[in-house]
Amino acid sequence: MAVKSNIGIEHAKQWKASTLLSASMFAGSLVFAVPAFAKVIDVPTQTGSAPVQPANTAASDAAQVKAMQQKLEAIQEQLNQMTSGLVNRTSSTAGMPLHGFFDADYGINSQGSALANPWIANPSGFFQGSLSFYMAPHFGDRVVALAEPNFELDKFDGGVSVDIERLQVGYLFSDAATLWLGRFHTPYGYWNNAFHHGAQIQTSVLRPRFLDFEDLGGILPSHTLGLWGTGKIRAGSGKFTYDWYFGNGPKIVDARDATTADPLTDPPTITPPSTDTYQTGVLDPNIAGDDNHSALVGLNLGYDFSGMLDGLRLAVHWLNGNINAYGTSTYGTPTVYNTGILNTTTLNTGGMSLVYLSNYWEIMGEYYGFNDKDITPGAATNGNKYKSRAGYFQVGLNIGLWTPYIRAERTILDQNDNYFRMQANGQSYARQIMGVRYNLNPKACLKFELMNSHFMAEPTRTDLSYRTMTVQYAIGF
Amino acid sequence: MKSKIFRVCSTAIFLLLASTFANAAGVVVIANPNVSVSADDVRDIFLGEKQFAGDVKLVVIDNAAMQNTFLSQIMQMDVNKYNGIWTKKSFRDGLTPPAVKSGDAEVSEFIKRTPGSIGYVSSAPAGVKVIK
Repeated sequence: MAVKSNIGIEHAKQWKASTLLSASMFAGSLVFAVPAFAKVIDVPTQTGSAPVQPANTAASDAAQVKAMQQKLEAIQEQLNQMTSGLVNRTSSTAGMPLHGFFDADYGINSQGSALANPWIANPSGFFQGSLSFYMAPHFGDRVVALAEPNFELDKFDGGVSVDIERLQVGYLFSDAATLWLGRFHTPYGYWNNAFHHGAQIQTSVLRPRFLDFEDLGGILPSHTLGLWGTGKIRAGSGKFTYDWYFGNGPKIVDARDATTADPLTDPPTITPPSTDTYQTGVLDPNIAGDDNHSALVGLNLGYDFSGMLDGLRLAVHWLNGNINAYGTSTYGTPTVYNTGILNTTTLNTGGMSLVYLSNYWEIMGEYYGFNDKDITPGAATNGNKYKSRAGYFQVGLNIGLWTPYIRAERTILDQNDNYFRMQANGQSYARQIMGVRYNLNPKACLKFELMNSHFMAEPTRTDLSYRTMTVQYAIGF
Repeated sequence: MKSKIFRVCSTAIFLLLASTFANAAGVVVIANPNVSVSADDVRDIFLGEKQFAGDVKLVVIDNAAMQNTFLSQIMQMDVNKYNGIWTKKSFRDGLTPPAVKSGDAEVSEFIKRTPGSIGYVSSAPAGVKVIK
C-alpha cells in the first residue's frame, strides 16, 4: 500500500510541475504577443492624433495615378521634341559631302632595264597611287552634278599632276532618262564606267591594260567631253539599259613616224636603237574643242536580269570616230619632226560585255573587235581596213572578307592600223593576273597581286616579258 | 496514346511556324501618303534604281535599328553589300545614299512630314502609307 502511494505522489508531482511550466510559457507568450497584435491592428499609441480612415486610401491612390499620368505625358512630350529635333537636324542640306579614293602601293618588277620599253612603268619600290576626289551636289530634285578632280603620279618622272577627270551636270527626266553634259567616263563596256579611278571599289590592283587611262597609255578614249544620255527601262522581269553619247573625238599626240630613225631627245631622254622599236603616241581626249570636228559617237545597250539570274548583265557596245595622229615636237636637235597630222584613221569598234555579280561571285568580261579604216588623204593606204581585237575575263570569289581573283587579258592589234601603230600602248600583249583582296572594313582594303606580262614582237615593237608583284592599300571615303 | 502524341506534335509545329511568320512580319515598309509605289518596287527603290514615283522624287531613308532585319528579309543581302552598292551608285551616277535615322520614332516622324519619303519600321504608325 505504501508503494502505490509513493508512485501516486510522484505522478502528482510531475503533473503539477508540467502544468506550472506550461502556464508559465503561456503567460510569457501573452506578454510578447499582445504588443504584436497591437501593431497588426495599428492601434494608435500617441495620444491626440486622428486615426487613418479607410475611405481616404482610395483618394490617395487616385492622386498618385493622376501624378503618374502627368509624368508620362511630360516624358512623351520630351520624346516628341527630341524626335522632332533629330529629324530637323538630319534633314539639313547645308554643306556638300566630299568623297574620294586614294591608294599607296609597293611593287617589284622583273623587267630589269627601264629602257626596254620606256612606256611600260617599272614600279619597283614604294609608289603612291592617285588621290581622287568626287563631289555630287544636287540642285533640287532633278538637277545633279558630278566633279572629280584627280591628283595622279607621273610614273616616269615622279611628278604629281592634277586632272579634272569628270565635270558633268545632269538632268533627271525620269528613271528612264538622264541627260549629262560635260566630261564623263566614256560608257563603253563595263569596267570604264564602273570603276575608273576608284582603286578601292575595284577588286584588282590594276585595270586591264588596254582599258587604262589615256594619259597612262590606254588605247581607247576613257573620257569624253560631250553629251551623254542614259537610263533604265523595265522590260519583263528585268531592265533594259542604254547609254548613247557623242562628243569631241580624241586625237593622238606626240606620235612618231615609224620610218624616222633619228634619235629622240624630248623627255623621256633615251637613245633608241637604230631602228624604231617603240612608239610614243598618247590619246588626248580633246577637252579644248574637237581638232577635226568629227564627233566621237557611241552606244551601249544592255539587259539586267532578275529572278534566278539576278546580278547578270549582258550588253553590246559600239564606238566610232575619226582620229588624227599628230607628230611629236622636238627641240635641241638638228632634226625637226613633223608636228602636223601624220595620218587619220576611222576608229570603229564593237563588242560585248558580260557581268555577273552575286553575294559570292564577281565575274566580268569584255570583248572589243576593231574594224578600222585608214582615211589619210593621199596616202597609199587610204581605204585600207584593219581588224584587231582585245578582251579580258576576270573571276573573283567573295569568301567573307577575302576575295581571291584571276584575270586574263589579250590584245591582238594589227600594227598596220595607224590607230594602234601610233600609240605607245598599241602593242599586242597577253597578261595573266592572280591576286587576293582583303577588306579591312567597308572602306579600306589590302590587295596582293601577281602579274605575268608578255608583249609581242612586232615591226615597230620589241618583245618583252616580265613579272610583277604589287601590294596595294586602298581607301575610299 | 497516338492521338495524344499527334496533338502534342502538331501544337509544337504550329507554334514553330507561328514564330517564324511573326519574325518575317517584323519589318514594315512605310511611305508618305503622296507616294504611289508597289511592293515590287521596294528593292529597286532602296538600291537607287528607282528614283521617281510618277512625278514625285523619292526620298529614301534607312532605319539604323531595323536595317539588318530589313536587308536580310526584304533585300536579301548583308549590310556590307548594301553599302558597297550605294558607294558605287554614288561614284558612278552621283546619287546620294539614303540618310540613316536612329529608329522607328525618327523614321515615322520624317515620313509623316516629308513628301516622297519612304522607309521601314517595326510597326506602322498612323498617318503613313504601308507598302509592304
